[in-house]
Amino acid sequence: MAARIVPFGEAALLLELDERIDPAVAARAAAIADAWERSGSGRAVPTYASVLLRFDPIELEPAAAEELARAIADTPGAPLDPREREIPTRYDGPDLDEVARMSGLTTDEVIAAHAERAYRVFFLGFMPGFAYCGVLDERIVAPRLASPRTRVPAGSVAVADGQTAVYPFASPGGWRLIGSTDVAMFDPGRDPPALLRAGDVVRFVRR
Amino acid sequence: MTLRVIEPGLRSTVQDAGRFDHWRSAVPQAGPADPLAFQAALRLVGNDPLDAGIEIVGLPFRFTLDVPRLIAVTGRDVTVRTRGTIRGWTSAFARAGEEVTIAGGERSRFSYLAVSGGIAVAPVLGSRATYLQAGIGPIPRALAAGDELPIGPARRGADGAGRTALRSDDSRILVLRGPHADRVRGAEALLRGRPYIVSESSDRMGVRLEGPPLAPGGAEILSIGVVPGAVQVPHGGQPIVLLADGQTTGGYPVVATVTSVDLGRVAQAAPGETLSFYEVDCAAALEALRAVRRWLERL
Repeated sequence: MAARIVPFGEAALLLELDERIDPAVAARAAAIADAWERSGSGRAVPTYASVLLRFDPIELEPAAAEELARAIADTPGAPLDPREREIPTRYDGPDLDEVARMSGLTTDEVIAAHAERAYRVFFLGFMPGFAYCGVLDERIVAPRLASPRTRVPAGSVAVADGQTAVYPFASPGGWRLIGSTDVAMFDPGRDPPALLRAGDVVRFVRR
Repeated sequence: MTLRVIEPGLRSTVQDAGRFDHWRSAVPQAGPADPLAFQAALRLVGNDPLDAGIEIVGLPFRFTLDVPRLIAVTGRDVTVRTRGTIRGWTSAFARAGEEVTIAGGERSRFSYLAVSGGIAVAPVLGSRATYLQAGIGPIPRALAAGDELPIGPARRGADGAGRTALRSDDSRILVLRGPHADRVRGAEALLRGRPYIVSESSDRMGVRLEGPPLAPGGAEILSIGVVPGAVQVPHGGQPIVLLADGQTTGGYPVVATVTSVDLGRVAQAAPGETLSFYEVDCAAALEALRAVRRWLERL
């Protein structure tokens, strides 16, 4: 699928690769973001199937930026260097029983289905260090909550719509909470501050 | 060389231009809600564009310096009281130990204090900006009475006092067409000046607008990276203009993006006031940006 490139304000472009959630597409988005940053034009933000390309329009004319973006999009990206990360998890979340009930599984089956799988990090968004990971075992049925919680505790391990993630900070949130971890998902004293990055392979290890 | 906070206002924070290197870890850029007012304050005291100052929410703000220093305050309806009263957007010389009060009016929202030499705290993740929600920054909280902030060596002396930053504003907010304007019913009217009212629940994350609801038609969009200035349309159809503390990604259609030159005027709109957006092309947005940078350089 050819990339579509549209302006996003005068200082950014949105490069859209596709319209689906797929680890291969997300990996290509991350590779394009890397290539854009290597070109020295500015920073980039990859997501599931698109990349936001930012630049200073006084330094780089928007037309030239678009030309560069098109050239980068057509270059097959270097494969990501995936790192493996384990997240020790207590399966003690308040929504675990409800997720089991909706899925027609026992809680042990949900835990096994969640813990025995290797996930890919699609991208980070929503809040510092929050990594969207997938895809979940299809048997786990977990639509987002119709009305989000006003406060999800930091370290909550959550699932929603085929994906899983850890809340690095306490915040409002609509994902279903099945467990918790003590791992620091984000630490401003570290560089990079986030534990995970796009392309990483993540496993939740039952504690 | 320190600035001592006597009365901190409601939610005042140390800010610099913003944190630009960690968007991929989902760290918002933070920095000033009104970048232009902030940069003008820096210029008036001879500071570097990357120096830090203070964003004040909830005036009055009172402080003293333990050294004589050139200062400037910008924002909406701001005045500075030392020995006398000085208008906002004007550099002034504060004596050592002299109490300085920054006062505002009913429509004041984000005000900026620059001290020549800058607030010299050590950067965190490459920036001195404060992101309160996740406690990121060298002083990761709202300023409190008694805080003592280090200031750097003066970049301009007493002879820099009395400079004024005057700029005439058009009331129109210029925007560029957003990536999803074609999919949202009502987007064309928004892009042609249909008025929206600023809601009470606006903050540094975004300005929430109330008006004729837009209708995001068709399928949901996958999350995309977003920029401050993006006009998002969530399910209820009431648009939100993202500001400095906005998330780095979003799953709502974006119908417009406020030009960087006009974003501060959106941030400074008080609840109940009306905003109207007008579509321009990229060349016009760039020309406005160049004009503003030339204006800043002349200060």
